[in-house]
Amino acid sequence: MSKAVISILGPDRPGIIAAVTRILFEQACNIENVSQTILQSEFSGIFIVAIPQGLDIRVLHGHLYDGLSPLNLHVFVKRLGTEAGPGFDVRNSEPFVITTKGPDRKGLVAAITEIIARYGANVTNLQAVFKGGDDPADNIMIYEVDIPNDIDAGALYGDLRGKAAELSLDISIQHRKIFEAINRI
Amino acid sequence: MLTDREILSTLEMLQNEHLDVRTVTLGINLLDCASHDLNRLKDNIYNKISTLAGSLVSVCERVGEKYGIPVVNKRISVSPIAVVAGPFSSSQMIAIAHTLNKAAEDVGVDFIGGFTALVEKGIAKSDRALIDAIPEALAETERVCASVNVASTRAGINMDAVYLMGRKIKRAASLSAKRDGIACAKLCVFANIPQDIPFMAGAYLGIGEADAVINVGVSGPGVVKKAVERALEANPHMDLGRISELIKRTAYKVTRVGELIGREVADQLDIRFGVADLSLAPTPNVGDSVGEIFQSLGLLSIGVPGTTAALALINDAVKKGGAFASSHVGGLSGSFVPVSEDLNISQAAADGHLTIEKLEAITSVCSVGLDMVAIPGDTSDDTIAAIIADEMAIGVINKKTTATRLIPVPGKKAGDSAYFGGLLGQSVIMPVNNARGTNAFIRLGGRIPAPIQSLTN
Repeated sequence: MSKAVISILGPDRPGIIAAVTRILFEQACNIENVSQTILQSEFSGIFIVAIPQGLDIRVLHGHLYDGLSPLNLHVFVKRLGTEAGPGFDVRNSEPFVITTKGPDRKGLVAAITEIIARYGANVTNLQAVFKGGDDPADNIMIYEVDIPNDIDAGALYGDLRGKAAELSLDISIQHRKIFEAINRI
Repeated sequence: MLTDREILSTLEMLQNEHLDVRTVTLGINLLDCASHDLNRLKDNIYNKISTLAGSLVSVCERVGEKYGIPVVNKRISVSPIAVVAGPFSSSQMIAIAHTLNKAAEDVGVDFIGGFTALVEKGIAKSDRALIDAIPEALAETERVCASVNVASTRAGINMDAVYLMGRKIKRAASLSAKRDGIACAKLCVFANIPQDIPFMAGAYLGIGEADAVINVGVSGPGVVKKAVERALEANPHMDLGRISELIKRTAYKVTRVGELIGREVADQLDIRFGVADLSLAPTPNVGDSVGEIFQSLGLLSIGVPGTTAALALINDAVKKGGAFASSHVGGLSGSFVPVSEDLNISQAAADGHLTIEKLEAITSVCSVGLDMVAIPGDTSDDTIAAIIADEMAIGVINKKTTATRLIPVPGKKAGDSAYFGGLLGQSVIMPVNNARGTNAFIRLGGRIPAPIQSLTN
């Protein structure tokens, strides 16, 4: 049985997930993973489904397109590849949380992620809120990052702190365990 | 996936509410250093401390950096020197204090505790030599801390030792007169001393402990205060049962930090993790004060009527939350009320809201006791000993730890200011009842018997 990745994007409203999953059910697809979020008024969802033999991926796309276009939703479907990408070795890394607060300006995410990428660290989750203005509490980026054990962590921290200072951002870099220890039983 | 709320509330505690690990204290057993030769003993002590604690500071800093939690103090506690240095005289004990000081200096810790004698039932020759050495040892060194356990619930109160300590405190003050008697700030007199305190000046490593152990002192009065303020702002009619629950949850969070850091430091040093000491320990900074919590709870100041009840609530909630957060809890585990080390408490004393008698009363519901209390320099030996005796009685009868850290400030009188500097802070000198008088009761000496353990009213 092959798998497909389906991405849905459009204005949020009640019934989006019901509409998507009804079509998937009608096409005998089995949902394996779902993640969805709402940013401001936009819904975005990503589904990984197992598709039955004989169901062409273009046909599946057609059913989704027909059912979801009336809701102003965009649909993207692709086969889940078995090809190995460059990948990331989670076992040889440690999870950290990088948080920045500071005045909003263009290019903040690009500036920080350029450094993270340069050191081969992998962003596993990013939450960012930019309400504009100079109140640091209104402009926050939270990156969950897997940092490889074999890189020069001191140099990474140094570069991040240097860039943060340049951008007038307060930056914190902490192992994820501290947040779990404090907040979870 | 962590929620943004979890991350931001944690950062708030760290950045604005002074959440930190107050101390990581490496306990080192020195019993295998024993020798009849003083130089050999000193060499053994120095070598053992240097070997075990050589990387303590750097490891604490590395772990602190990893989690973004500062480890404010790195310290060492050792086996009671009165036991380690059994055969030696008072002057030789002073030489050992210098060795401890040198070792502490060389490994980069600010205090080393364990210049200690345990005399609750009787004073052995080596105990007497150590107690006699305390004034010089503390006045001539910067980092050595001393403690003497003069009472316990099982043994009663050794009044000979209590009286002796009254005299030694006065002498220690006079030897450090130029610095307002600072030697006394490094000396605690205890009832029921725990074997695993990480906090100074009372830290020592008990005889029943392992060769080396990491004990952690957590803190966080600022975190508790902010939590109470936020809750009362959101709901001004929140009752005390719910406030207790809130403090309990907050203490849980604070303790988890200490437990995590302590275990990681212990792992990296390949030393066993001992205990987390769940104490609210203030520093002389605004927002890092135990006294401010009382005001957040609606009291005019620490010391006014209602203080004992409020402290009972705070202390109990801290213990409940902390005990759930850590698998091994020990040390003092309670709220500290050190007068000079807490700006707000010091101010309460200056404003006349807080007296020595009220401090003594609140000791019945919290640790530790009359802590960092500056008193007139001409307070008599008898009266100092009598204050100690009263404090010990509270501990012995209530089966808890109590202690005194009294500083008779040479040449100064009640209402004057004493300045100790750094974490030791500054304070008004508190008036003492019958300060210069004699006390025939104290001079009777002997041992007040251990209390009955039934008929508990």
